[in-house]
Formats: sequence, C-alpha cells, structure tokens
Amino acid sequence: MKAGDTLKPFRIASVSPEGMKAWAKFLHDPNPIHLDPAVVKAKGLGDRVINQGPANLAYLISMLQVAVPKAQIESLEVRYVDNVFGGEAVEAGGTVKEVSADGSKRRISCDVWLRAEARGAVLTGTAILAAPL
Amino acid sequence: MSNQPTPTPDLPAPPQVAGISLAGTKPYTISADENRALCESIGVAPAADGTAHPIYFYIATQVGMGMTVAGLCSVCEFDVEEGPMMASSKVTFSRPLVTGQPYQITGRIVSLVRKPSRKLGVMDMLEYLLELSLPDGTPMLTTTNVWVLPRRRLA
Repeated sequence: MKAGDTLKPFRIASVSPEGMKAWAKFLHDPNPIHLDPAVVKAKGLGDRVINQGPANLAYLISMLQVAVPKAQIESLEVRYVDNVFGGEAVEAGGTVKEVSADGSKRRISCDVWLRAEARGAVLTGTAILAAPL
Repeated sequence: MSNQPTPTPDLPAPPQVAGISLAGTKPYTISADENRALCESIGVAPAADGTAHPIYFYIATQVGMGMTVAGLCSVCEFDVEEGPMMASSKVTFSRPLVTGQPYQITGRIVSLVRKPSRKLGVMDMLEYLLELSLPDGTPMLTTTNVWVLPRRRLA
C-alpha cells in the first residue's frame, strides 16, 4: 500500500428504513425523521426517512476495515455534509495520502468519504490506521 | 484559557454551558447480541475475537453520557424537536472496543458558539467532548462531536 492508492469501495445498494428502526434502538434516539416519512415531509426535509449520521459513519468505518484488513483505526475525523435517505445507494471510499513505518507498525493516512449515488458527498474526512508491517 | 467564545455583535449571547459535565451515571457495556445485529444492519460480519464495531465509539459515548440527546439540547435552551444536526465527529482510539466489557464515560461541553448562517439565519455550534475508559481509568478513546442547533427564531 502506498500514497495514491485507492481503497476498496464499500457499497450499500439500498439504505434500509428497517435498518433505521434498529439504529434508533442502538442509539436510544427515537427521532421520528428516521422512522416516519410523514414527519420528514412535514419538516420540509424531503419525503423519505433520513438515515442516522452514525450509521453513515459506520459504512465508512466498515470500508476501512475491509480495505485494510488487520489495521486498527487510530483516529478518524469526519464532517457530515448531507443527509442519506431511505432507499438510496451509497458508497464509501478513500485514497491513501501517506504511509510511514513506526516500529513494528505502518501508519496509513487516508482521505475518506461516503457518497450518495447521483448526489455526491455526504461524509468527508480523514483517517489514520495502524497496521502490522 | 477560557472556552467561552467572543460574542457575535447584534446577536444575543448563547447560554453559558461550557464546562457542564457529561459524565455518565452508570457503565455502558456493548452487548455481543447488539453488536451482531448492528453489523448485520450494515452488511458486515461481526469480529470473531469479541472486538466490537468501532462505530460503538459514538454509540457508547452518546448512550452512556449523563444526558439524553434531548437533555443535552435542553441544557442549551434548544428544543430537540427543532432538529439538531450533526456537523462533525472526531475520535482517537487508544484501544479497540470489545463486547461484554463495562466502560465508563466522562466528558463536558466544550463550547456553544452563536453565529449567523446564510442557510439557517442564526445557528449555535455545540461542541462536546466525551472520553471512554475502563473502570480502572485506562483510557480507550476520546471523541469530540459538533452539532448545529438552528436558531431560526433569532434570524
């Protein structure tokens, strides 16, 4: 792995409204914009339920875990740029910015993102991973 | 050094909330069953070695801190029904999280900064820091989240 390499993308073909119900329980957060399209519409935010931001972040983290097996995330920083709606396809990806040796580990710095198909970035950020040499 | 920001001219000052504790009142334990369900919900297999999905940095600290989301908003004199929005998250891990291990959460509100917004009229940027550790104090992670609290009525 070297600077400029592309990380293997991680794709969700259709963000599931049922999954949002499960995440409402994981997060102990019953915000109806994640559960009821009528509420989303009443708030002028669209006509489909909105995925929880941490669920979007979980896709991005899973991309890192699949793309760089055996690596540990040392740090991760993201901006929530836009919403993801029920039924949308999203893809997480990234590029390697720098790889350096540190004792028995290599440290991998990456630019990372989550994009909604046909709309563009919904999460952008950076990650630093530590992997065995 | 003060965490209180310089007030923006012509806007009322936001509530003075910097420093308010977000320490949890009881430990948070990542359930292996819930971790499995969470992994299934995003289409990945749970780790076989008991490691939890790293997104539990967010879940464990949010659920385990000393306030609900609605409570945190209320402290900032903001009704959760008006729709707080996540702006950014940052986490630094010292160790991977595992299932079945009780963790304690401490933290505090860092700042509440009021500013004009082209899209929202007026908004407050709420920054809060949470730390998750083992019961003996061994650090596991530090995370900082920033939320946007729209203040449309002030526009």
